[in-house]
Amino acid sequence: MGKQYEIPLGAQHISLLEPLHFKFTTENEKIVDTTANIFYVHRGIEQACCSKFKFRQVSFVVGRVCGLCSISHSTAYSQVAEKLVKIEIPRRAKYLRMLVIELDRIHSHLLCLSHVAENSGFEALFMKTMQYREFSMELLEAVCGNRIQYDFSIVGGVARDLKPAVGQMILERLKKFKPQLDELVDIYENNWTLSLKNKGAGAITKEDAMRLNVVGPFARAAGLAIDVRNETEDLLPWKEVGFEMVLDTAGDVHARNMVRLHELYVSMRIIENIIARLPESALITETKAFPDGEAVVRIEAPRGELFYYAKGNKTQVLERLKIKAPTFSNVSAMVEAFKGNEYGSVPAIIASYDPCLSCTSR
Amino acid sequence: MKLSSFRKKSPWILHYNAGGCNGCDIEILACLAPKYDIERFGMINTGNPKQSDILLVTGPVTKRSRERLVEIYAQMPEPKVVVSCGVCACTGGVFRGMYNCEGGIDQYIPVDVYVCGCGTRPEQIIDGVIQALAILEKKTKELEQSVRLKKEPVKEDTQLNRRNIAGEIIKTA
Ligand code: SF4
Repeated sequence: MGKQYEIPLGAQHISLLEPLHFKFTTENEKIVDTTANIFYVHRGIEQACCSKFKFRQVSFVVGRVCGLCSISHSTAYSQVAEKLVKIEIPRRAKYLRMLVIELDRIHSHLLCLSHVAENSGFEALFMKTMQYREFSMELLEAVCGNRIQYDFSIVGGVARDLKPAVGQMILERLKKFKPQLDELVDIYENNWTLSLKNKGAGAITKEDAMRLNVVGPFARAAGLAIDVRNETEDLLPWKEVGFEMVLDTAGDVHARNMVRLHELYVSMRIIENIIARLPESALITETKAFPDGEAVVRIEAPRGELFYYAKGNKTQVLERLKIKAPTFSNVSAMVEAFKGNEYGSVPAIIASYDPCLSCTSR
Repeated sequence: MKLSSFRKKSPWILHYNAGGCNGCDIEILACLAPKYDIERFGMINTGNPKQSDILLVTGPVTKRSRERLVEIYAQMPEPKVVVSCGVCACTGGVFRGMYNCEGGIDQYIPVDVYVCGCGTRPEQIIDGVIQALAILEKKTKELEQSVRLKKEPVKEDTQLNRRNIAGEIIKTA
């Protein structure tokens, strides 16, 4: 046994967007053990949602849990609140929610991919991916009015309508984006330098993924068919708009890149279908009821399964709100997948997990 | 050219998230990307506080990240400018009053430029950083002035003039 060194990484580091602390025990550049420390950004949102804010305001607060998947949070909360006040939202609102969730998925996945490229030392690809990503931000701005923090889902429906001109614009931009995505797939799949850094790095087997309860693209890259869009039909009709599962088997960084890229094709198809079949109806269901009882909602955020639990007691303020973010499920597997890798490939592996700490620690 | 002129042309940026929601962080990342491209002002994102001139902070200060924030600020060399990005870094925003949050970073470190918005737009961030550049220049001037210890400026050259002495030595030799 060689000499062991402990190397800390974080909380502030060039390859991290958020404060996250890892401590690696290494032996001749090989990582033998890791501990993760993730709760730097705990703010106490759950407690504030149950004391400071009324239940209609909470959908704006939970959007601020995470800027990358804020629409998933506000949609999940809206759905849970709708279950508590026992209303059914109009079909058009459901479709519009799905539209924004998928647009959000495009921007989030592209951000993650560009980050992997940057942390693998491929600056040019980072720039290229970020350049192609900009179209999704513009579309989100056109649909919701803001580049991030959309505040689109509210309790009872959605806050804005989709104008036909904007729908047309989305279709045009998607048509333009398709060849660009083909180009990106080609680079991420076949680039030799990138494959040296990505193939085989941070691999996790299907059994481990199952045992450690992995969710999202991380699990699907290991061959585990987990996707909430495949499992729930009652709240958002995913299968109606052409959802398909994307799977890979290798479970390494390269496989995660591939899963993300191919999910973009699915997202694009879903968006096209939504715009083609957008039903005509009201945008919002009004109600004067107060939340009562308990409810649970699951939704597929860009990083995996997002879980909301809420309990009401017939007052304006909720009694309990619980958020379980996808990264929280993945942390144990993240620590596991580092083992046996070179220290040098750590930044790329971290980026490929696509960790979202502000979701995790709320 | 002097060091100060380089600093003006290429301010280096350090980015720290003190507990925000990531929204403003990805907009900072978008600023580095081709569409907004703040590299045309010579700015690059560094990970090292010892090399950077401008500190971009996002997020309300959570109780755990405040030590790091102050430490990072202390490690940056003078002159330095702090830009707070996003309303939650300026005042606490929606997180103000939550049990693990402080209201804004200016309770711990001096802030020079406040950029508002939730989330800030890249244009606003660029504008804020350009304003920070002017402040950086001003701070540099002040810093260099104080080196002369606020004496009266020297009118005539009372120091030994080596060239004259050398000339005299040569003449006498
Ligand atoms: S200002 Fe808004 S978007 Fe920016 S970090 Fe704070 S909560 Fe997120």
